[in-house]
Amino acid sequence: MSLLEVDGLTRFYGGLRAVGDLSFTVGEGEILGLIGPNGAGKTTVFNLITGFVQPSAGTIRLDGKSVVGLRPHAVAARGIARTFQVVKPFPGLTVKENVTLAAFLRHPSRRDAEAAALEVLGRLGLGHRAGDLASQLTLMDQKRLEVARALATGPRLLLLDEPMGGLNPSEVDVASRLVDQIRKGGVTVVLVEHVMKAIMRISDRVVVVSQGEKIAEGPPAQVVKEPAVLAAYFGKRAAP
Amino acid sequence: MTRRLAPWVAGVVALAALPAIVPNSFYLHVAIMILMWTLLGSAWNLLGGFAGQVSFGHAALFGIGAYVTMILFLKAGLAPWWGIPLGGLAAALVSLPIGLVCFRLRGPYFSLATLAVAEIVKLVALNWETVTNGSVGFLITTFPPVRFFGLAVDWESKLPFYALAALLALGGLAATAWLQTSRLGAYLIAIRENEEAAEAVGIDTVRAKVLTFALSAFLAGLGGGFYAAYFRYVDPDAVLNINLSMEMVFIAMVGGLGTVAGPLVGAVFLTTVGESVRERFQVGHLIFYGLFMMLAIRYMPEGIWGRARRLLAALRARVLGHVAA
Amino acid sequence: METFAQSLTSGLLTGALYAMIGIGLTVVFGVMRIINLAHGEMVMLGMFGAFWGQSLWKLDPFLSLLLWAPVMFVGGMLVYRFLLRKIIPGGELNTLLYTAGLSLLIANLALFAWTGDYRTINLSYGQEPVRPFGISIAVPLAIAFVVALAITGALWLFLSRTDLGRAIRATSQNREAALLMGVDVERVATVTFGLGTALAGAAGVLLAPSLYLYPTVGELLIVKCFVVVVLGGLGSVPGAIAGGLLLGVVESLGAVYVSSTYKDGIGFVLFLGVLLYRPSGLFGVGK
Repeated sequence: MSLLEVDGLTRFYGGLRAVGDLSFTVGEGEILGLIGPNGAGKTTVFNLITGFVQPSAGTIRLDGKSVVGLRPHAVAARGIARTFQVVKPFPGLTVKENVTLAAFLRHPSRRDAEAAALEVLGRLGLGHRAGDLASQLTLMDQKRLEVARALATGPRLLLLDEPMGGLNPSEVDVASRLVDQIRKGGVTVVLVEHVMKAIMRISDRVVVVSQGEKIAEGPPAQVVKEPAVLAAYFGKRAAP
Repeated sequence: MTRRLAPWVAGVVALAALPAIVPNSFYLHVAIMILMWTLLGSAWNLLGGFAGQVSFGHAALFGIGAYVTMILFLKAGLAPWWGIPLGGLAAALVSLPIGLVCFRLRGPYFSLATLAVAEIVKLVALNWETVTNGSVGFLITTFPPVRFFGLAVDWESKLPFYALAALLALGGLAATAWLQTSRLGAYLIAIRENEEAAEAVGIDTVRAKVLTFALSAFLAGLGGGFYAAYFRYVDPDAVLNINLSMEMVFIAMVGGLGTVAGPLVGAVFLTTVGESVRERFQVGHLIFYGLFMMLAIRYMPEGIWGRARRLLAALRARVLGHVAA
Repeated sequence: METFAQSLTSGLLTGALYAMIGIGLTVVFGVMRIINLAHGEMVMLGMFGAFWGQSLWKLDPFLSLLLWAPVMFVGGMLVYRFLLRKIIPGGELNTLLYTAGLSLLIANLALFAWTGDYRTINLSYGQEPVRPFGISIAVPLAIAFVVALAITGALWLFLSRTDLGRAIRATSQNREAALLMGVDVERVATVTFGLGTALAGAAGVLLAPSLYLYPTVGELLIVKCFVVVVLGGLGSVPGAIAGGLLLGVVESLGAVYVSSTYKDGIGFVLFLGVLLYRPSGLFGVGK
């Protein structure tokens, strides 16, 4: 059985359809890339899965149990964590406090939560910044903090929204290795990403979305050759 | 541990010694007002300072506490030491539906909604005459004779009220200190910093806010109950006035948002100035509340206590640096 | 039927003045995202302006509009320039609390200077209500209504026909874009705040002969004013007009057909309902 099953997911904003009849699954331990041109509805899909936006139709199941209708905190408690495309740290708090707040979800005692936070920070190479204010970090480190905070909630599934956006090529390499390491730690990953090189390298499988609908699915190397994908990305003329 | 307890012990000693050293009952009255406003500032601070939710409706909770205490005394013969906590509970109970409705709104919209709720509560108090006596309100003429550990309580003196106010103020400060170290307090700060991120890491933001609102309402209701017993007079204009909400906001803000001692410092500062002006001119004591509020936001957004604490820390670092060198 | 027509008429008359106060608040919100809690005190100052004009200089209260509107305009610009401007970068809540402080300061200075006594303005004319079609209309309210209509019309022309007016609307719709198009946003903000203050003051002058005057009257007015602008959608001028008229009519009809004691409550319940379920306003014109 798949870890995450999305079936017929649809969301309207007024008369506008942001996501339409989208279905896909994610297997345990997989890294799935969710790609598509700007405005394709990828972030909306994340918002739908994590309960920030309620679907107009369709089902979302984690381990066979529906998460539709749950508020975001309850979705997090079920084991789905996310990062935001535009980072949302708690700016006035230290890095350690940021992550501790997330660790409270699985560790009710402050001491355990702090220990868990430091462990995650160490794993992500942020241990030396634990005492700094989140607002003082570089963008790269804020993105890391965002991932650390998500991991500290002890998720089974991690949704990464453009973790590499705005990073330089060497930082992208570091981030790619990080994603792989997270999967090795037993967490399934879905990522939305624009940096194609990174997606191609780290995803086991990609789902291509355009105008809210799935237009292709499969191993990365194969999908990029599909005419529908080329058309969506480069316009009709580019398609053979 | 001793360092954390020291200020509390010093505070209790100072509070116990104060009635012996004040020259006349006006000063004792000012001390009582400071203590009452410390409680009220602390009440508002729990929600406004920690969770960043600016309520303009706390007068309603204060008023509910005052009315419940008064009505229980006059109609059921229940003495104020039962009435005051029950007034607090009533305010907390009423805060639940208010919170569930108003917390659907964010930022300034939440503030406006609480303002509207407070106006509605005031209208109800004005017009539900069978219960509230309308705009006439209630007056207590005499308290029943009471013995406390064998001593007759002298209700005409301000001393019993001073003791009660001191107890309530300490309670407000202790509640803040508890919140500061609790998980709930950490959640509130997360909500203040970024509400969406707080939800995303698994914090039930609605529950945290509603719970805190109830705690805050309980303290504001206690304050209202105390007011009713001390002034022996309750009417919509006295206990449901929007200015009461504003005074709570200003005391917490001028003193220092999201700190334990902030409301105490704010109350000492503003109430002293305010009561002195009130004593001399009768009207316009809120001129200085408005003025200090504007000055604080412009020049000292962290409040008097926030600024003092930072300066103390810097001083300590410098002194320790000298010692080390 | 006659009662209905009567209360509808008086509701519309009062509503027009609510609308005028609301427009001042809503243009300021539109351009600067400031919810000005001191707006009610601006109205109060206009009311006292009319009062002192009459009792000190024998100025006709309605004519004193020509004096007080420009004074309030300049006063508003100074308040923005020297007080508010530095606070705005601190965020919406700080600005809200700052204007709360300003509101308390002005109201209590007035209380200190003029005491809390209730005052009234007596006109030498218009003691008897006029009765077109058997509906009784108080003359002061009728004059206020006509002048309010004229001012609102003039404002409309200003906003739609002049460069500065267009700049104000542009900034209100999209501050960034207006900045990029070369609009001097700071100047627009200063003028807008002056305009909002002048509108509040003018409404105060017009209301003065019909209401009791006392320094804390602003409290009551500001809350009504919020109801008006939220009903119409914060930031929308047509919304504020509709909201003002609606509130006037609802209060007036509510007093007759529901309960005179709870008539103010109807407005607040409407207000909460709109905030919760239609945050962009009843007419869908706000943002």
